[in-house]
Amino acid sequence: MMYIVFIMGVLYVVGFIGFSSKPSPVYGGMSLVVSGGLGCGIIMGSGGSFLGLVVFLVYLGGMMVVFGYTIAMATEEYPETWGSNVVVLGAFLVGLLMEVFMIMWLFSGEHELMGFYFGGLEDLMVLGEEGFEYVREDYSGGASLYSYGFWFLAMAGWMLFVSIFIAIEVTRKRY
Amino acid sequence: MPYIYINIILAFVISLIGTLIYRSHLISSLLCLEGMILSLFTLNALLSLNINFTLSTIVPLILLVFAACEAAVGLALLIIISNTYGLDYVQNLNLLQC
Repeated sequence: MMYIVFIMGVLYVVGFIGFSSKPSPVYGGMSLVVSGGLGCGIIMGSGGSFLGLVVFLVYLGGMMVVFGYTIAMATEEYPETWGSNVVVLGAFLVGLLMEVFMIMWLFSGEHELMGFYFGGLEDLMVLGEEGFEYVREDYSGGASLYSYGFWFLAMAGWMLFVSIFIAIEVTRKRY
Repeated sequence: MPYIYINIILAFVISLIGTLIYRSHLISSLLCLEGMILSLFTLNALLSLNINFTLSTIVPLILLVFAACEAAVGLALLIIISNTYGLDYVQNLNLLQC
């Protein structure tokens, strides 16, 4: 289990390097979608199935779809990919090198960073994973948004409502 | 600090560098901004789940709401730029150049 989470974590960072090295936005959007899916996998590795579903539905299915349509509007005739431009390829390789150094640093024994000890892959395993828990943590946490955190809910709802008007007025050039 | 948190913080730093460095398109920087928010969401969710503090699961959800508003406003600005100049190239934004 910890190997799966570890590999997903490494591929998550590789996906981030993929869109951060700025190819044409079509490929950047695709890389962000892949990273979002892997992030969902990492969250579900710690037992958070509700939050993983939120990533897929709200983040990928809501925000990335809007980004995808906007990118399709503002695209160019010859898109640059990671292999067609030396700058993009160089940035990608530099980021990949950073991640490889991180992995090598992880596997070279016990280390101490700001008072915490890490080393090896034991931290990726969640204790008590076997069997069902009596409280599904993230479901009840999400539900507490409506009971204990109702002011959060009111402010978030009001902000979404106002941001619709902001987007409409900004697009009509009435800043 | 457990290794997975350092990995996600590294992803955040990579997206931050990508936001601050412009190439030709403006929407690439907006994509890197979305990447920053995704890494913050993942970090918050993992922390809430590993500390077993149930009430703090609200924080990633609220973060996602604010991220959606920010993406909407950013895309609206991009649309205006695209309407004025035809494309969203960064080199077109030179009205304040001395």
